[in-house]
Amino acid sequence: MFDFNHSNLDENGNPGAEIVSRIHDRFGNFPVHVQKPDLIRLNVPQTDIIPLLSWLRTETPFVQLTHLTAIDWLEEDEFELVYLITAPSLCISLMVCIRVNREKAEAESVFNLWLQAETYEQELHEMFGIHFPGSPRQGVPFILEGWQDMPPMRRDFDTVEYCNRTHPERPGREHHDSRIYVGRKFGEKGYLK
Amino acid sequence: MELLPKIGWTALSLFVGINYGFVINGIIRKVMARIQGRFGPPLWQPYIDMGKLLFQRNSIMHGYMHWLGPVFRSVGGIGVFVLVPIVIGDPRLAGFSEMGDLLLVMYFMFFGSLGMALGAGEGGHPHSPIGVSRGLSQMTAFEVPFILSIIALATAAGSFDINAIVAGQQGGVLQWNFFSNPFATAAAFIALLGMNMYAPFNIVGAPTEIPVGPATEYQNTYFSLMMIGRSALAIGKMVLFMNLFLGGAHSVLEALVKVIVIYFWSVFVGAVFPRFRTEQSVRFFLRWPTVIGVAGVLFAQLVRS
Amino acid sequence: MRKFDPDRPWDLTTLPTTMAPKGSKPHAPTDDRCFLGAGDVPAAPKLQEAVATIKNWFRASSLNVLAFGTGCGAIELRPLSTSRFDMSRFGISGAPSPRQANVFIISGYLSTKTLKRVIRSYEQMPNPKWVVALGSCTINGGMYWDSYNTIKVLDLYMPVDVYITGCMPRPEALIAGFDYLMQDIKKGEANGWHHYLENLEWYRDNQKKVITDWDLPNYSW
Repeated sequence: MFDFNHSNLDENGNPGAEIVSRIHDRFGNFPVHVQKPDLIRLNVPQTDIIPLLSWLRTETPFVQLTHLTAIDWLEEDEFELVYLITAPSLCISLMVCIRVNREKAEAESVFNLWLQAETYEQELHEMFGIHFPGSPRQGVPFILEGWQDMPPMRRDFDTVEYCNRTHPERPGREHHDSRIYVGRKFGEKGYLK
Repeated sequence: MELLPKIGWTALSLFVGINYGFVINGIIRKVMARIQGRFGPPLWQPYIDMGKLLFQRNSIMHGYMHWLGPVFRSVGGIGVFVLVPIVIGDPRLAGFSEMGDLLLVMYFMFFGSLGMALGAGEGGHPHSPIGVSRGLSQMTAFEVPFILSIIALATAAGSFDINAIVAGQQGGVLQWNFFSNPFATAAAFIALLGMNMYAPFNIVGAPTEIPVGPATEYQNTYFSLMMIGRSALAIGKMVLFMNLFLGGAHSVLEALVKVIVIYFWSVFVGAVFPRFRTEQSVRFFLRWPTVIGVAGVLFAQLVRS
Repeated sequence: MRKFDPDRPWDLTTLPTTMAPKGSKPHAPTDDRCFLGAGDVPAAPKLQEAVATIKNWFRASSLNVLAFGTGCGAIELRPLSTSRFDMSRFGISGAPSPRQANVFIISGYLSTKTLKRVIRSYEQMPNPKWVVALGSCTINGGMYWDSYNTIKVLDLYMPVDVYITGCMPRPEALIAGFDYLMQDIKKGEANGWHHYLENLEWYRDNQKKVITDWDLPNYSW
């Protein structure tokens, strides 16, 4: 176990420089972006994610999976999976990002490292259509029961069209901009046009 | 007294007792609301609830055993009420007390809960058996200090007959068991908190956990029947405690006052305490109240010898 | 029986205040389908009317609200029972079990997943029962007008007796809504539950349109 503490700051006062150099030593030079002093972003190839996360989980203070989410880069035809790993003793978080193909969206499950990843992966499967082989409850409905359309968080899913098709609107509603109603009611001329 | 007028008088006193239970229930809601800084419902709200429940009809059927649960419950309440004398020396208001002693009264007190447990399990809702198991474990716990207290009183009076226990307390306020055996009184009044199911012992119908407990699947008319049974059982228990510890009553007015005083003991305790968990409640009853009850039995033996 | 036509939402000439079909009866009617037993014995009309008045007064004075917060508006129900607003003044109290509840407050937005549970709970409540729709989300979708998972018009799926507008309505507005509901009950006009039983097929069609994995029984007794 490495001895991480706040005395290991470099001359710029960057508390994560130590862990970044360790990761570079071990796994090669990933692009690193220090977003905040306590939030470091690593862009990792898809093949390195499980070795990196297991090493973080077992041999460093980064023991907590705070969040697992996905970003849809429609133009680049890729999903970006973001693992937010926190070291509670250091108050530093790592954003470990991998890119997966959008057509064949599949990534390795981290359920064996963190049990709570099961729920995140279930939700990602439902909302983005990303498959995690080996994770339990894949395909079990979480929020969308009986969903038959494209996963709704994909950016090419037309929410308004789906909504107008499925949920009829009450006749009489002219706008969806509340400023118009407020302006009409209270006479604020600037909002009328 | 002839049997037929006796039945008539007992039915009349039962009617008055149930109505008094409803009135006390309304007062309790008002008092609790005032303690919490609210105005509270009107005093006659229990009657309105009752009327509304009676004007609706049941729409589900869970089997006859399920329907018999509230019936057993009210039979238990009515059994307690009719076996306890209300006014000393008045055969009209003595009920059937010369036909049964304290042991039969205690049997009826727990018969209602057991019948309710039998019926509630038929409903199929998981909250019902959870509430039943909580209630029965608490019942076995508070029964220990209560029975010890009863044994102490019976030792002092030399009989399990309620009329004999009341007769032994006549001749001044200091002759009441409340003063002559304070240990037994303390044990029984702590057990009363558990019987009345106000906080901190409201674990059967614990709000926010198993909201109404065993009654989850009960509907309109059966719910109103349970209200009647609960009212009769509560008033019967208070009259019993009045007879056992406060020297009985010489007039109806005295009985009404003493009943409401005993009832509000558990209400005021319930207004200020949070709820126990089940195992905390069981441990509580089996610890100090049991010791006090044993002390009451020893005290009664000591005074007698 | 009016059906809502989603293809012609501009047709304002038939704009209904509620989309539930019309045809109310003067007093809470008897329906053998919703009870066990033989049904009410028909009495003389005058007597029937008097009894119905008494019944409706009792029902209006003792409302039990089902403790089921479907959306964010449930946060407004808590102050109602505390000392500042105190709904028990009006005889309104909570009921944790649908078997003992009369009033269902749909508090705010209703997702399709919740709608299934709401329908089940609503059908388990004993008749007569009333629905109070709280907030603009239940009326026209409100701020969730473009959500893929939130229904917009509540009375396509359930009969609604009282609407309370606002986002969020304050507890005073809720008390005012209860006041309207009590007046309607006393007049015998709050018969949404009867509309539901009469037009169950129409409601079922609408419900099955949004709940695609329908696995509820024909009627959840």
